[in-house]
Amino acid sequence: MRNDRLLVALAVVVGIALIAIAVVYWAEPAKSLPGFFPGHQGGSNHHHVKHGIAAFLVGLACLVFAWFRSGPKRTSTA
Amino acid sequence: MIVASLISYPRAIALGLLQGVSELFPISSLGHSVILPRLLGWNIHQNDKYFLTFLVATHLATALVLLGFFWRDWLRILKGLGRSLRDRGIDPADADAKLGWLLVVGTIPAGILGLALEHKLRSVFASAQSAAIFLTLNGLLLAGAELLRRRAPQTAEDDDVRIARQVSWRDAVLVGAAQALALIPGFSRSGATMGGGLLVGLSNKDAARFAFLLATPIIGAAAILKLPELFGSDGDGVRGQALVGALCSAVTAYFAVRFLMRFFETQTLVPFAVYCFLAGLAATIYFAVQ
Repeated sequence: MRNDRLLVALAVVVGIALIAIAVVYWAEPAKSLPGFFPGHQGGSNHHHVKHGIAAFLVGLACLVFAWFRSGPKRTSTA
Repeated sequence: MIVASLISYPRAIALGLLQGVSELFPISSLGHSVILPRLLGWNIHQNDKYFLTFLVATHLATALVLLGFFWRDWLRILKGLGRSLRDRGIDPADADAKLGWLLVVGTIPAGILGLALEHKLRSVFASAQSAAIFLTLNGLLLAGAELLRRRAPQTAEDDDVRIARQVSWRDAVLVGAAQALALIPGFSRSGATMGGGLLVGLSNKDAARFAFLLATPIIGAAAILKLPELFGSDGDGVRGQALVGALCSAVTAYFAVRFLMRFFETQTLVPFAVYCFLAGLAATIYFAVQ
């Protein structure tokens, strides 16, 4: 039960972080991305739209996972 | 003007007709669109911007046809997804919800791998020679899937219920990720997913159905993502040909999916394996001695 809550909390944090990262990818050109971001390139005005989409999808998947995991427990009828 | 002469309207029709069939038949549309122009001496290169723009339109048409063909299924699947989100869980008896999430789970790895690897793989394996070699390997892959397949249990009357019962979450991830093979010209997306479906215990018919459902969001999303190129400067001089190609692609895609859904009720991947192996081998030898 405790592990479950920890997992849900972790999924929510990672999900929100990834969606924030996605927004950064969409909003900032490659030269303005933080140095540790994949795709950072000094002097480049290219926007890494695809990196943003990938981060957004994985972030969304984490939130959906947390949503299901924190739902009411089902008793199997089978 | 130069662009128009490279993809003339007759060529656009031929490429569109070919695309509609080869995208859904497990024989690699990208491989064929690389090999055929080379065999016919057409000066078209798969990494040329105008050609990629042309392909965006034909892919979008194929995705729309798939969406239209399975629209009733998609409606049920979307309702199932909505129900599971509302209930915060997937009812074991709700096959539509389970199938919907299997498709989501299968699409995510394919999408991420596609976004990450598409450009690199297309650049590395751009030549017609490598496409011919991979087409041969695609034949072996299809034959291997038929040889190693598990016997499909008849667990339910309804196709979607059978798929939902037979495919686990792990299977969906693996089958979905296998779609990324199609980023290499010569390997087939539908071939990889149908083969994966057979390996996890689906019948040929159910594997084809799962492959087509799985292909719809990924082909559609890839096309929509590149749609701005069609309406931007890259589309100059090629939009008319792209429209004609897309219409031709839509017609053949419709007949292809209709044919395949009936074909796989009784038949296997073997004829496609034989075709890919022989056509790939013949093209490989031809390009080597040319």
